Amino acid sequence: MGSVDYDPEELIEAYFERGWSDGLPVVPPTEKSIAAMLAGAGLRGDETIGEVVERGVIVSAEKLAINAVMAGCRPEYLPVVVAAVRGLCHPHFAYHGPASSTGGSAMVLIVNGPLAGRLGVNSGNNAFGQGARANATIGRAVRLVMMNVMNTRPSFLDRATLGTPGKYSFCFAENESEHPWEPLHVERGYRPEQSAVTVYASNSLCQVYNQLAAAPEPLLRCFADVLCNLGTPNLRGFNQSLVVFAGEHADTLRRSGWSKQDVRRFLLEHARRTVADLKRAGRRPGEIEPGDETTWKHAFERLEDILIVCAGGQAGSWSACLPGWGNKWTRSVTIPIDTRGGPP
Amino acid sequence: MKLFDPTSTPRERAITLAPRLRDLRGLRVGLVENTKFNSDVILAKLGERLARQHGMTVSRMIRKRSPSHAVAEEAADELRRISDFVVSGVGD
Repeated sequence: MGSVDYDPEELIEAYFERGWSDGLPVVPPTEKSIAAMLAGAGLRGDETIGEVVERGVIVSAEKLAINAVMAGCRPEYLPVVVAAVRGLCHPHFAYHGPASSTGGSAMVLIVNGPLAGRLGVNSGNNAFGQGARANATIGRAVRLVMMNVMNTRPSFLDRATLGTPGKYSFCFAENESEHPWEPLHVERGYRPEQSAVTVYASNSLCQVYNQLAAAPEPLLRCFADVLCNLGTPNLRGFNQSLVVFAGEHADTLRRSGWSKQDVRRFLLEHARRTVADLKRAGRRPGEIEPGDETTWKHAFERLEDILIVCAGGQAGSWSACLPGWGNKWTRSVTIPIDTRGGPP
Repeated sequence: MKLFDPTSTPRERAITLAPRLRDLRGLRVGLVENTKFNSDVILAKLGERLARQHGMTVSRMIRKRSPSHAVAEEAADELRRISDFVVSGVGD
């Protein structure tokens, strides 16, 4: 805590100068706003939220709250930030790889359950875009914690070659009211009335367009094609991807009667390349040999490595595929949100 | 208004280096393959060269789950038991 008095404008510059910002102006914290933030999650400042063992980093509630204030969060958002940071610290997430690698991943936060609606986490139109404070600031708070507490600073322990704009913030809610199936957190063992956040590392986002297909098979062929494009990471094994169905695509699947597993089976079967394709693109070593043109390699080994959620507006023929880090390096983690701080 | 430091300092751990080897002749070398592309190839070649030049034997090459995961405790114990020293490699 510094003891120098600053004007508000100077204070914002002081956070920039010390390298404590993500490149955007931060909201300068005060004792009052930090206390209010902690109260939003019913936390004491000295509580431990999580630990990144390999970095010797402990995330305290106080530091979490300071970063959440800086990000522009309202106090009632803090339970979501806490759950997301616990997800980052979970051994299955294996933080160091996705946080540090040249792949430059966004930490995608998928919020489920009634809390999402109460906090105004956008699940509808422009769910991945700008305009919703909860989406923008929850994701930003998590990134600031990564930078300031977990030492994940660009060119230091964040070695992203390009990175992605999603590294500023990437948080959205599932559109549970128009979902063709059970939402993600229910699929993962939580009750519908519970709230949870899923943390998933992804280095890119490809929107999938199809305005004509009115049945699952032709529609899903577009997704399968995107999921196995030759530049996809982990195409040689361990692949894990997130598929976000929106609008008319979700409606087509709902009306078809296909289950989530049916969709996964179709994608697993059709997301594949020939060995010859992979060799021509240098994704496998060696010369093309007889049989390579008819020998297929599937992009996924297991159905559960295709994560399916629904979000976005009702209108439009757009969905998205977000390639992940693969099940070997990191796994998406779903953490229940503790709202012991009280309403909402 | 005051500045509030949002950063944390990582805990420092004391790491003791293993004693340096005085003579390489006839030692048993363990290899830790981190799963990066060609990591196994490089380590295998290294093992062959150490055997040829220093009369070493490769005790075992173990494979980590991923580069960012630690060596499994059981595998680490085994390597300690059957090796005089260990080489961990990175490919790509």
